[in-house]
Amino acid sequence: MDTENSDNIGKRVPLFGTWRRWYAFLLGFLVVQIILYYLLTNNY
Amino acid sequence: MNFLDWIVLLGTISTIVLYGTWRTRKTYTIEGYLKGDNSMKWWMIGVSIMATQASAITFLSTPGQAIEDGMRFLQFYFGLPLAMVIISVTMVPIYYRLKVFTAYEYLESRFDLKTRTLAAGLFLILRGLSAGITLFAPSLVLSTILHWPNMVTTILIGTLVIIYVTSGGTKAVSLTQRQQMAVIMSGMILAGILAYTMLPDEVSFGNAVDIAGNLGKLNLVNLEFNLSDRYNIWSGLIAGTFLFLSYFGTDQSQVARYLGGTSVTESRLGLMFNGMLKIPMQFIILFIGVMVFVFYLFNQPPVFYNKVLLERAYEAGQGPALDSLDAAYQTVYDQKRAEVDNLVSSIKLEDENAITRHRTAVLALEKQERSIRDAVKDKIATALPDAKTQDRDYIFLNFVLNNLPHGIIGLLLAVMFSAAMASMAGELNALASTTSVDIYKRSIRPNADPVHYLRVSRIITVMWALVAMVFAMLASFAENLIQFVNIVGSLFYGTILGIFLTAFYLKRVGGTAVFWAAIISECIVIYCYRETDIAYLLFNIIGCVGVMVISSVIQLFLRRNSPA
Repeated sequence: MDTENSDNIGKRVPLFGTWRRWYAFLLGFLVVQIILYYLLTNNY
Repeated sequence: MNFLDWIVLLGTISTIVLYGTWRTRKTYTIEGYLKGDNSMKWWMIGVSIMATQASAITFLSTPGQAIEDGMRFLQFYFGLPLAMVIISVTMVPIYYRLKVFTAYEYLESRFDLKTRTLAAGLFLILRGLSAGITLFAPSLVLSTILHWPNMVTTILIGTLVIIYVTSGGTKAVSLTQRQQMAVIMSGMILAGILAYTMLPDEVSFGNAVDIAGNLGKLNLVNLEFNLSDRYNIWSGLIAGTFLFLSYFGTDQSQVARYLGGTSVTESRLGLMFNGMLKIPMQFIILFIGVMVFVFYLFNQPPVFYNKVLLERAYEAGQGPALDSLDAAYQTVYDQKRAEVDNLVSSIKLEDENAITRHRTAVLALEKQERSIRDAVKDKIATALPDAKTQDRDYIFLNFVLNNLPHGIIGLLLAVMFSAAMASMAGELNALASTTSVDIYKRSIRPNADPVHYLRVSRIITVMWALVAMVFAMLASFAENLIQFVNIVGSLFYGTILGIFLTAFYLKRVGGTAVFWAAIISECIVIYCYRETDIAYLLFNIIGCVGVMVISSVIQLFLRRNSPA
């Protein structure tokens, strides 16, 4: 991960590129959470 | 409150303020003051975003919400991760490419000056008013609890924020927000754990969750599609995405948080961090509320949580009526307590029939309790016609003050002060940067030296803080201002988001078209507000769609009339 990369300020950055994994991870986490909350709700 | 509490409270608050001021005292440039010299790492951005969004009223009111209404409020946040992804994909790279200080600067490069000024102006009205409310709500609750005049808490919080925000700007905001968040989360979790440990020994954690679930407090997901129901999964995913898109993408108080990052990567990771942790954080806060609910099943709660108001009603001659209601409340509680014990034993025996029977009994008694509480509120309203009888915001602090050990009480009050200061600091910083960059530097004095702009930004920060403080003090005289501000928010957010979405997605639409479309949409929204009964939340969608559709139509006409 290029945490030190301040060079890309002002440059074009690809929209998805390597970020696809991060977005998928975040949305996957959302889905997993909703399923868990749903199961908890329906348990009662 | 005893000596130990005061030491913890004053020690925590003054350490944060002094450390923040001292560490960022060498802020000599406008870049440093407004963007923190682009020095923020992803986790700092994430914490800063969360601390700006969560105001004191979040921590005062959310546990109370869970106690009265269960955990279904969580669904309101389901759209947030979706909005984080959309903002990371579209808005963040554009803001970075143009090296903007504020979100509205982008509108000038995409459209023209008048559109930028319009959006910045709408933001200033909206955020300026809500900064007053961010300050007013906790000031009111804290002043009631501490028996101080409201003016004292307002001036205290406001002045503390002015000290570090004018000294260190964005960097000080982010630095202090990190410590404030640490205080907030540790204090809240400690309160939740203590609420659980104070339950009777025979009630295990699993039993406590079972009791709450059986009494309908774990209603986390509602799949039913219902427009009149405020919290279900669909309103969360659809209207929530819209709301969070405009809040995190176009509201400078949030945009400033991630524009301070060292790179696009850091900003995106900061937003991901928020998307990842926001829902679990709200879950924890609501769950703490549920634990307090279970605590109050085994310990008698007060009939009305705002004690000061109750005492005033006694003094106003409602004493005998309130006493008899209190006695009735006590009787119902004793019956309920017996049924709760029965419910616990049937849960332990896993006897489904008994569980259903006792659950129904407890729920019926709860209904009786509610009607007694409503009668108490009526009595208070009769005695004090202009008093606010909604006591939800007082439930959690009332629990803290009457049941937690000394020291922890001071810590929990520090939580509320920290939360108030964290969100107000973020808002002031954004108001100052928008006023100085989008209005002062752009249209009033364009070519002054950077030192001048830095000085002006500091003065403007103080000015907005004073506006917020005056507004917070006036708000106590007119209770309806809170509702007014909520309406103002919905009136303007949709139009601002519409301008930005047109900028991103309707490439053919130009500045003049979007400017007039924004004005027409704003008029439509205001007309809808005055003449129809449409729910506030829908104004966001009407304003947004209005700008996009009308600007496209105007653009068609403009193109037809212009010489090839």
